[in-house]
Amino acid sequence: MSPNRRVVIVPCSGIGKTFGTVSREAAYTVVEDLRPDTTELVALSLLVLGDEEARAAVAEHPTITIDGCRLACATKMVQESGFTVARSFTVLDAFRKHRDLKPEGISSLNPEGQKLALVLAEEVAEAVDELAKVYPDNGGSDADSA
Amino acid sequence: MEFLELTVDKFTFRFATDRYYHPDGIWALPEEDNRVRIGLSDFAQQSNGDVAFAEVKPVGTTVAFGEEVASIETIKANVFIPTPVSGTVVKVNQALEVRPELINEDPYGEGWLAVIAASDWEADRARLLDAQAYVERVREIAEEEMKKR
Repeated sequence: MSPNRRVVIVPCSGIGKTFGTVSREAAYTVVEDLRPDTTELVALSLLVLGDEEARAAVAEHPTITIDGCRLACATKMVQESGFTVARSFTVLDAFRKHRDLKPEGISSLNPEGQKLALVLAEEVAEAVDELAKVYPDNGGSDADSA
Repeated sequence: MEFLELTVDKFTFRFATDRYYHPDGIWALPEEDNRVRIGLSDFAQQSNGDVAFAEVKPVGTTVAFGEEVASIETIKANVFIPTPVSGTVVKVNQALEVRPELINEDPYGEGWLAVIAASDWEADRARLLDAQAYVERVREIAEEEMKKR
């Protein structure tokens, strides 16, 4: 992980599930567009498989999970791998707050689903900023951690 | 509360034995004063997925057997809930407004939908299934679904 990337994002795997797709889209938006300098994506599958790099990233940095549904696979698997989840989000909760954004589609989301992913990503980005302040010394320095 | 269980593929469904079931998966539990509490079966809630919103007809609404008494919006679908008992809605589970997930977490308990003052419970009961008969109904549905895969 780059030294100034201080927060790890772990989305659920939810293959074949619309809410899983929203989860991953939200994660990509945070890491690629909203907070590219302070976040890094870790694949849940790599973590479960015991990939050393993935485990190190989650061990050394605050971790945010994004789950599609109440099964909360991402949150549970991070915890069962022996790590702590700093913040957790679910697509279901985001949808409850934005009923007009009913996601549909799996390989590609409808416009409402894309909007829901963006709204969720913005919530996650705010959490990233909060965590970066709480954990200023976990990987580097920037204006927030000075 | 006692349960029957049915396992199909990787899914296990529970059926409370103290109540009756509409074939579409709504349970009816007779209580005092000719009132009947209703809710979704474990099979129905698992089949429909996580509940995002639950809307129950307000107190005072009169419903006939099979008419819509509630609707739920899940991550999979919008689901119409037919009443398993005719009568007047006298109580609505207000907790579902803020915690609709109770339907998934505790379908036979805190996830109840409404209480209805029955107009002819004996007639309605004759149209419902007991737990064992509902298990068989679910087995048929589940096996049909498995064949489609």
